[in-house]
Amino acid sequence: MIRRAVLAILVIVALALLTISFRSPTSGVLHDAQGYGASALRPFQVAAERVARPFRDAYNYVNSLSNAKSENKKLEKMVRDYRAQALLNSAAVQQNKNLQSLLNYETGPTYPQDFRAVNASVVSFPSGPFAEQLVIDAGTNQGIHRNTPVVSADGLVGQVTNPGRSTSVVTLLTDPDSAVSARDLKTHVSGLIRHGQGGTLILDRVAKNQVVNKGDWIVTRGTVDRRYPDEYPYGIPIGRVIAVGTSDIASFLTVQVQPLAQFDSLDSVAALIPTKRARSHP
Amino acid sequence: MTLADGLKAAALLFVAAIVQVSIFTQVDIFGGVPQLVLVILVGVALLRGSVAGATAGFFAGLVVDTATLGTMGLTSLVLTVSGYCIGRYGETTGRDRAHAPFLSVAVVTILYSFGVLVVHFMLGERAPAGAVMRGILPTIVLNLILTGPAYWLVRRLLRPREHADFATEVQLLG
Repeated sequence: MIRRAVLAILVIVALALLTISFRSPTSGVLHDAQGYGASALRPFQVAAERVARPFRDAYNYVNSLSNAKSENKKLEKMVRDYRAQALLNSAAVQQNKNLQSLLNYETGPTYPQDFRAVNASVVSFPSGPFAEQLVIDAGTNQGIHRNTPVVSADGLVGQVTNPGRSTSVVTLLTDPDSAVSARDLKTHVSGLIRHGQGGTLILDRVAKNQVVNKGDWIVTRGTVDRRYPDEYPYGIPIGRVIAVGTSDIASFLTVQVQPLAQFDSLDSVAALIPTKRARSHP
Repeated sequence: MTLADGLKAAALLFVAAIVQVSIFTQVDIFGGVPQLVLVILVGVALLRGSVAGATAGFFAGLVVDTATLGTMGLTSLVLTVSGYCIGRYGETTGRDRAHAPFLSVAVVTILYSFGVLVVHFMLGERAPAGAVMRGILPTIVLNLILTGPAYWLVRRLLRPREHADFATEVQLLG
């Protein structure tokens, strides 16, 4: 009798918490209490992560030795290509600046100049097939808010969907609910970045008459209409096109994108806080 | 369950929950993720019964949901029911059997996975049954690997109860 009563009470309390949390996932007393609890637990999580890090690094080191030689050759070739490209780009950037100053061209915050990076370590990782999210070691105390873009050294990771006081939940680009407005850097074709198969992404909503080539870089599109400002500034690298396909019955191209960010081995990320207030947008 | 036992179980589950959300969630082997909290909970429930199992499951779930800023109560709900079921098994048929922890871990892994799936489905959230099904066998194997050392640790901290401890009612005959 007593055990059934205990079970019933615990189940009712759990259901009550579930209902309250589900109805107001990002605000309210329970959310605040959860934020305080997460802040209290953070030192333990950081400690556990630090204890595990040497073992993970050792595994990654051994794992990477096997293909280091071939990768080195490939990287040397890439460095040569990029060096030549960087020279051309720097000239173009200078020319762009000059033209913008001549036209008195006003823009919203541009990436990365007009953003302050809040660097944060990852304290919890995606758990199972239910969530493509991670928890970072920074929250509203550091200026993070809902929809703040989050990047890694490689490229766009996702955005903050549940900010706490000192920790925040980041929803990754690989989450089925995630959609980012993006464009092809070379052909200027726009689409929506969504999750794809096997850890890849899809550039969706690209009309069949548009041109996207294999190897093209995909970046965030930024704000197009000032009435509907995009949370992501223009130009955050997302990935590279690895396949373009089409079929007679499909309305859009199938553009498969390999993300630059390594979602399964993120140690630290940066949340982008704009330092410039948007006035008008290109 | 004495206060000392309660504190030991709470400390053990707290550490297990922190290790789970900080370290073990990164371990993905053939789609399976080891669930240390579940394995420790099975040990506590088998050795201390259904009430302790349900209570331990509830608080372990709270720690997990708080640390991951997830939906509060979701993990608690499933772990409470899991802890209670394993506790009842320990109180009745499973108490003297060497295979009880392993059998319990295998069964509760399936129950827990489907329990979480059902709750997500009922909340209208993403509930990828295919991914859960694919990952369930590797998860069971990983949990069974953890069961031996984890159950040994729980037994060291929580002394197994004597048979007389399980008797809650006495019926006088004659």
